[in-house]
Amino acid sequence: MSEPIRAPILEVDRIRTRLGGEWLHRDVSFSIPRGQVVGLIGASGTGKSVLLRECIGLQRPDGGQLRLFGEDIWTLPLERLNQVRRRFGVLFQEGALFSSLTVAENVAVPLKEHTALPGRLRDELVTMKIRLAGLPMEAADKRPSELSGGMKKRAALARALVMEPELLFLDEPTSGLDPISAREFDHLLRVLCDSLGLTALIATHDLDSLWGMVDRIIVLYRGRVIADGPVARVAATDHEWIRSYFAARANEEG
Amino acid sequence: MDEPGLDHGLSEAGCELRLRGAWCIDHLERVDRMMAELRVPHDRAVRVDAAGLTRLDSAGVMMLVNRLRALGVVWSNVSLHHFKPAQLTLIHLVADRLDARAGPRRRRRTPLAVLGRSMAGATASLAGQFVFLGRITEALWDLARHPARLRHRELTVQLQSVGLGALPIIMLMTFLVGVVFAYLLGVQVQKFGANIFVVDGIALAVARELSPMLTAILIAGRSGAAFTAQLGAMKVTEEIDAISTLGLSPVQVLVLPRLIAIVIALPLLTFVGDVMGILGGAVVAASQLDVTYYTFFERLKAVLPLETVLFGMYKAPAFAAAIAFIACRNGFAVTRDARSVGAYTTTTVVQGLVAVILINAVFAVLHPEIPR
Repeated sequence: MSEPIRAPILEVDRIRTRLGGEWLHRDVSFSIPRGQVVGLIGASGTGKSVLLRECIGLQRPDGGQLRLFGEDIWTLPLERLNQVRRRFGVLFQEGALFSSLTVAENVAVPLKEHTALPGRLRDELVTMKIRLAGLPMEAADKRPSELSGGMKKRAALARALVMEPELLFLDEPTSGLDPISAREFDHLLRVLCDSLGLTALIATHDLDSLWGMVDRIIVLYRGRVIADGPVARVAATDHEWIRSYFAARANEEG
Repeated sequence: MDEPGLDHGLSEAGCELRLRGAWCIDHLERVDRMMAELRVPHDRAVRVDAAGLTRLDSAGVMMLVNRLRALGVVWSNVSLHHFKPAQLTLIHLVADRLDARAGPRRRRRTPLAVLGRSMAGATASLAGQFVFLGRITEALWDLARHPARLRHRELTVQLQSVGLGALPIIMLMTFLVGVVFAYLLGVQVQKFGANIFVVDGIALAVARELSPMLTAILIAGRSGAAFTAQLGAMKVTEEIDAISTLGLSPVQVLVLPRLIAIVIALPLLTFVGDVMGILGGAVVAASQLDVTYYTFFERLKAVLPLETVLFGMYKAPAFAAAIAFIACRNGFAVTRDARSVGAYTTTTVVQGLVAVILINAVFAVLHPEIPR
């Protein structure tokens, strides 16, 4: 509201992270403008998940700045950080649904904590989000342990979306799903991002997701960003790791 | 300026709604109130104009769609004007997903349903108890025919943690209870100048009731809770399933060593408890009641028959079997959610204590005579 629309929604500025005595991120910088769906790729262990955790304020980088909505989140007092946290949603790799609550109760948690809405409106919102995430209403009263992997992800997405976030962080959203469910989930994400006007940063290994639904990809390699741009352009980059990464798919199809 | 607003006008062509301000989740209650006051003839066309709208999110769209539908407006009669293309996509998506199928979902449970559910749960759990008892008996029978199948290593580890590990706390607790009991009893017998009878009281109480009960209660809390938490955590990480698929019996591998260890350890601990409790009594007798250690133990030989000590120790395996059974059964019942391990561990401790006291009462009723 206060910042100009043109300003990037997320700025990662010369981030450095040291983990177990080694530099995980030496110098990572990029920025994401409003409305873009960005894929973050890199080999296992290059710190994609750590970078996401730093962006959402769970783990402190050793150097550099992270600006969300124009605010440097690691200098904010906790109260202001929590205000910023209301403006983005996170989809954790395993969904991270609260196992003792039903799906509907899970989705209602942020509403109960952050709004004073009466129960009737809350139920209405929860129902809508569950429907938007493509779950049948029968799933609302089930517990996470009674759901399939794909449904868990959808339920987690419904919870991530319930506070009407402007920005969504997703950690491996299609991991553990069969290819058909994964494509359906990609499609759902893209539709929601477009119609809700979401900006999204997706850490993923799934090449099909990259080709199918992402506007731009960022490649992390040995602690640096080695490529950044639309998928086709990045795939054509002359770099050993990127070539073998995309060749894996070519081999699969050939 | 961001406050949401709604004007509406009625003409023969239909009804016109003009939306103003921010229709979003932060102002949802206000939007709800405005929409509640709205009256629209449901057979006419509705024209929604967004010229004054500053923000719109899916919560705002939901209010528009749901409330107009609640007023009986057919969604296809609604025409949308001056919305941004992105907002139109959003409205179509929400209207599409929130179709008639999304009815009321909340089902309240009546007290009768709750009662029925808990009774069905209790019955199922009782059946489960018998199945588990059967599996343990089967495994024990198997072990009796093939003694080599006993897992020595696991049994030794369990003996160490159940028996040796509990030794210090058992010694301290029984000693202190002996002290307190001798002190209270001493105050009474002193009134009659019958100080020497404190030995009779201490010996009988400690050997027959206090030491077996106290030891069993401590072990029920200490090892019972540990068994449930260990097996429960293994259940959560699917290690128990892995044991089954490797062709091993989880009961044979996990339950029997624990059961045997506790059945061996508890009588031994009880005996240690007897010694420490009587020692506690002797300390008080010597320091407060002018009964020297020599007199105390001379009298003890005369008034404490072996049968009384054995009676206390012979209750212990029964306590032990009950504790192990309850703890392992609850460990296997753990489900894969965060609260489950904690809930079942609590259940184990409570059921274990109740079982120990019940079994003790049964023994007391069956053997009321006190050997002299």
